Amino acid sequence: MSPTNTAGPAERTPSLGAIAAVFARHANLTFGGGSATIAVLHREIVARRRWITELEFQLAYALSRLTPGTNLLAFCTAAGWLPRRGTGAAIALAAASIPCSIIAVVATHFYEAWQRDATFAAALRGALAAAVAVMFHTAWVLAAPHVRAAPRKALVFVPASIALVSVFSLSPFTVLLLAAAGGALWPAQSEAR
Amino acid sequence: MNPFALYALLLKATASSFAGLASLPVIRDELVVHRHLITDHELNAAVVITRATPGPVGVYVVSVGYFAGGLPGAIAGWLAMATPALAILVLLRFIGPRAEHPRVRGMLQGVVLASAALLATSAVPLARDAITGPLTLAIMVAGAAALFTKKIDTLWVIAAGAAMSLLGSG
Repeated sequence: MSPTNTAGPAERTPSLGAIAAVFARHANLTFGGGSATIAVLHREIVARRRWITELEFQLAYALSRLTPGTNLLAFCTAAGWLPRRGTGAAIALAAASIPCSIIAVVATHFYEAWQRDATFAAALRGALAAAVAVMFHTAWVLAAPHVRAAPRKALVFVPASIALVSVFSLSPFTVLLLAAAGGALWPAQSEAR
Repeated sequence: MNPFALYALLLKATASSFAGLASLPVIRDELVVHRHLITDHELNAAVVITRATPGPVGVYVVSVGYFAGGLPGAIAGWLAMATPALAILVLLRFIGPRAEHPRVRGMLQGVVLASAALLATSAVPLARDAITGPLTLAIMVAGAAALFTKKIDTLWVIAAGAAMSLLGSG
């Protein structure tokens, strides 16, 4: 995501149809998760089409990491809002989320129909086992930047969260609220080295 | 379950997480443990299905909604996935200039670290459901080794797991 040739002002105001087409295509048809999709979107809306500037892109990306829920959808919402405000945001969000949701529903429906098939069941057993590995890996991917940036905080927050859920039976939602409050009381700069 | 109630439950999970699968612990607690609307097997399958389809990781919530309530449930899942994204408009207008504030960054660190811990904790009962013998255990270990040592897309890990299981059962 190099800023080369993209630091100047945005040059073109996209039509709503163009916003729908770009986000439907690139947010729904890219495998590899949010990072891969955002890299493709950067090429499209900053470098190629110049709908937003590099600075606006960086702002949208940073704020999407602070937004609850799926970061990619927050990013698309911001990237639609910047050139076309509310309507652009709504269209970008819908275009980025509806097609993949339809694909998910169709796949889930066929899963229910196919799970009685012996071959499918065998393949599914392996896929489910692999998915457990994906979950552990995702947990590490989420935590790793903060473990490196704030190791003392990680040493407190990770075991405390596990204990609050497993030993004290607090709900995950309550634990997250406590973590938010604790994190605000322990500013990031105190970990700076 | 009433789709509006399902939407509220799923929104509680998505609005309190900061990455796609980070909502899984709250969803498991509400839909599997307390309300028995879906099983651990279905929750795990929702993750598998949506990792094998394109789109953001968070779309697994739509699959969860479909398992819990059919098509209305899937719509509730889509709304719960999409709604938190609108919060970025508030951030853009009002909080953007303060995003680097140490307390804001500290709060984000706390939530993300807790989310990661909760996700790992939630994976344990799902593993009990998925690891049914030596072959599935080997698939899980091999998948973890591949993910932690190579830059490999999770899609290929899941596809390889399915292929190994097919070959092992053949």
